[in-house]
Amino acid sequence: MPYLNIQKTLVTLRNEFTAQIVDAKDLPELEELRIAYLGRNGKLTLLIREISNLPPEMKKKLGILINETKSTLNNLIISKKNELKKKGDWFDYSIPGIRAERGHLHLITQAIEEISSIFSQIGFTRVRYPEVEWDWFAFEGLNFGKDHPARDDWETFWLKSPDHPKFGPMLLTPHTSNGQIREMVRTKKPPIRMINIAKCYRRQSDASHTPVFHQFEGLVIDKNISVSNLKGTLDYFVRQYFGSKRVTRLRPHHFPFTEPSFEVDIVCDICMGKGCRLCKDGWLELAGAGMTHPNVLRAGGIDPDKHTAFAFGTGVERVLMMRSGLKIPDLRILYSSNLEYLKQF
Amino acid sequence: MNIQILDSWLRDYLNTKANSQKIAKYISLCGPTFDRVRPIKIGGKRDWVYDIEITSNRVDAMSVYGIAREASVILPQFRINANLQKIKISIPPKPKKSLPFKVIANKKLVYRTTAVIVGDIKNWESPDWVKDRLNAAGVRSLNSVVDITNYVMIELGQPMHVFDYNKIRNATIIIRESRRGEKITSFDDKTYSLPGGDIIFKSTDNKIIDLPGIIGTKNSVVDKNTKRFIFFVDNNNAAKIRKTSMSLGIRTVAATLNEKNVDPELGMTAILRALYLVKKICQGQILSKIYDNYPDPIKSKTVQTTHEFISNRLGIEISKIQTTKILDSLGFKPSWSGENLSVTVPSFRNFDVAIPEDIVEEIARIYGYHNLPSILLSGELPENYSGSFKFEEKIKNLLVNYGGIEVYTSSLVSKEKIKGKALKLKNPLGSDSEYLRNSLKHSLIDAAKQNKGEVKPFHLFEIANVYLPLKKGLPEEKMILAGIFVNFSFRKAKGIIESAISDLGIKSTKLVKIRKMSNNNYYYEVEVNALRKLSGINSYVPLAKYPAQVEDISFVLPDKTESGDVYEKIKSVDSNVRKVELAKIYNNSYTFRIWYQSPIKTLNNQEVEKIRNKVTKAVESTFGAKVK
Repeated sequence: MPYLNIQKTLVTLRNEFTAQIVDAKDLPELEELRIAYLGRNGKLTLLIREISNLPPEMKKKLGILINETKSTLNNLIISKKNELKKKGDWFDYSIPGIRAERGHLHLITQAIEEISSIFSQIGFTRVRYPEVEWDWFAFEGLNFGKDHPARDDWETFWLKSPDHPKFGPMLLTPHTSNGQIREMVRTKKPPIRMINIAKCYRRQSDASHTPVFHQFEGLVIDKNISVSNLKGTLDYFVRQYFGSKRVTRLRPHHFPFTEPSFEVDIVCDICMGKGCRLCKDGWLELAGAGMTHPNVLRAGGIDPDKHTAFAFGTGVERVLMMRSGLKIPDLRILYSSNLEYLKQF
Repeated sequence: MNIQILDSWLRDYLNTKANSQKIAKYISLCGPTFDRVRPIKIGGKRDWVYDIEITSNRVDAMSVYGIAREASVILPQFRINANLQKIKISIPPKPKKSLPFKVIANKKLVYRTTAVIVGDIKNWESPDWVKDRLNAAGVRSLNSVVDITNYVMIELGQPMHVFDYNKIRNATIIIRESRRGEKITSFDDKTYSLPGGDIIFKSTDNKIIDLPGIIGTKNSVVDKNTKRFIFFVDNNNAAKIRKTSMSLGIRTVAATLNEKNVDPELGMTAILRALYLVKKICQGQILSKIYDNYPDPIKSKTVQTTHEFISNRLGIEISKIQTTKILDSLGFKPSWSGENLSVTVPSFRNFDVAIPEDIVEEIARIYGYHNLPSILLSGELPENYSGSFKFEEKIKNLLVNYGGIEVYTSSLVSKEKIKGKALKLKNPLGSDSEYLRNSLKHSLIDAAKQNKGEVKPFHLFEIANVYLPLKKGLPEEKMILAGIFVNFSFRKAKGIIESAISDLGIKSTKLVKIRKMSNNNYYYEVEVNALRKLSGINSYVPLAKYPAQVEDISFVLPDKTESGDVYEKIKSVDSNVRKVELAKIYNNSYTFRIWYQSPIKTLNNQEVEKIRNKVTKAVESTFGAKVK
């Protein structure tokens, strides 16, 4: 198209547009008009494409003209838009909201509340026992011999306090299992169905261990309690807390206070069982469990010939961190008092 | 304890078509846990390293052979053929001339010693296959003789030592208990002072020549010049080994095995296996008979149980035939008499299996926990425990509703952060955590400090125990609610506490004391139980039937007048003063908004005026205030 023709077309185009925009009744109609001229295949856009083949000098001259036309059209659209807005009940829904401030329960409290409510649904009673405890309740009564190698796994804090003549040295509970003996002594007779959730202490501090942490411990004592009941209880918890996609497996293990003993693994949420850097061949250790050793029942004053029992225990932090999606890389962050962190949950 | 073994080594003893992944998967379900299976290239050939966790009661499985034995029982449960292969050993040598050797025993310390003397060693360096296998197991190759002892230990789970025969005076070892303070120098040139009561080997001239079961000493160790070697196995009192090893901090693989009661029957096998390897690897000559000192061989143990007992524990019946089959395969000898089962325990499980529950475990794990049903509990519910959990939850939720942010701070604190008596740790991790806190105050101040840059008001709180030492016995663990308001106006902080207290159904708001720490920063703490005792149920207040008249009265109060007292005074002056608010403060002028309202009628202006006069008079006369 020769230069003059294009110039002419531009003028016509502008006049045409000016005539049409007067008739636009609302915002959608205006938008339609905008697309017809300035959209990807709009009249003006197509014209611009056409001049790209012209010699540079001509292109320059026409370019100025085209830009003028374009900005005229745009200005017409904006003023028409404002005119249309004023007509109706216009309201700025797009304005950024002022975020509401609320308080925050700590993640650990949220987890504890959830865990205790799941177990309360199947008849468990929550209990609380001393965090500062005698050796007898934390080890000896639980069938740990004085020099039992298994004691190594429980790196224990000891207190500078005189020993008890019968119960031995004073310590900080390295697990919630002292609650087992305490609960037997308290109730004196089964049935017992307790869940003990408490602070625990171990001499360890790294990305996955803090010296102060939380455990929960279940103990069930009744007539004819079996490994199958233990499986049923753990399965119930896992389904409620982790959802049905996270399967579990039991592996034989050894704890002084249970016989048989096993560990419960849950499928890794990162690799879903394929095996990755963060898990052991697709599995994560979830809990320790087993049938309560007859010596432990005896220590609690319960006749192991009449009653059988099972127990399980694991970390509150552990189940919390294993739940998909939380993604806290370091346990020490969990106990930070930084508001930026605390307000996220 | 974790051990690392090569797949190819395992297959010396395990004949199976199962691949390494299957072996790991299935044994983990029924025996020791295979934490990881790692591919490795050895001499251009593909192999696998298993990293296996074995619990402390299963010392019988802490070896290549032990794992093969488990695998040969477990894999067939998953319909995979697997056979355990025989250990290649020498026949016991009976040379015409035997070099003399003597152990003066002590039955309480060492249960069995087994020894043999060899010489004429041809190769001082181990072949690659020995080095590779040791390497994969995490053991450094030293020389062919020492390598053989380590090889046997990893393969069979029996620690073994080798002495220089010529360094043992009169070819005699005396087994004794140490005295406190006696010193040894280990083969790697470290000196230790013994705690006393440790098992030691002495020479006839009263020198310590070995810390048996734990570490060799420098004065009896083999070296390049050694001509004659004593291969020596000692089966020791495990508790003593453990005590010595722990107190000296010498945690050799030998010690971690020996402290767990190694099967004494294994001693002879281990020596004969070593002899086999001596011939194969270094073409050595056997210079003595086998000196075996085993005064009290272990007696096989029998455990009694019943078919019913086993079924009850598992929650499923396993047939007698299947029970027999499982126990047989594990090396136990079961025999039935009606419903009664008598099980003879193999020597390698002698310390581990003692009661019927142990038998249940063996059957359950081989049968497979995954094959047991999953059954929810039935039966009666227990009586309730009266804990304050619900109450604590309620407090937390109330404070959160009012914008509070809960923190968890450590109950272990430094000396500076306790006041008065507190419990001290014997073995703290550091000085910043050597006491059990007796107040939450410093913890919360620290928590607030973590947010120094924050300019907006915030409220942190925690419910946790403090630990108060008593004259005797365990400390008192007191559950405390404490909180800190930062960048807060006092009235707003106090209002949050007042609202929460009132929501708990507590009438008096004075129970919680809020203290000023610095401008706009306030701290409070209260015993949870004290709140719990006073808390009740808020009862319904009938809705007003008649309208209230509301008006503001401003008083100019003298300096240091406590405005709370004025507020209380106004409230209590007349029963028809239904509600009062402090609406505005300007210098000393306090504006109170007062609701005049009667439950039985609409108050007219005269009646209101009467009450108003009562109010102003009371405030003026009590506080010396003036109505503005």
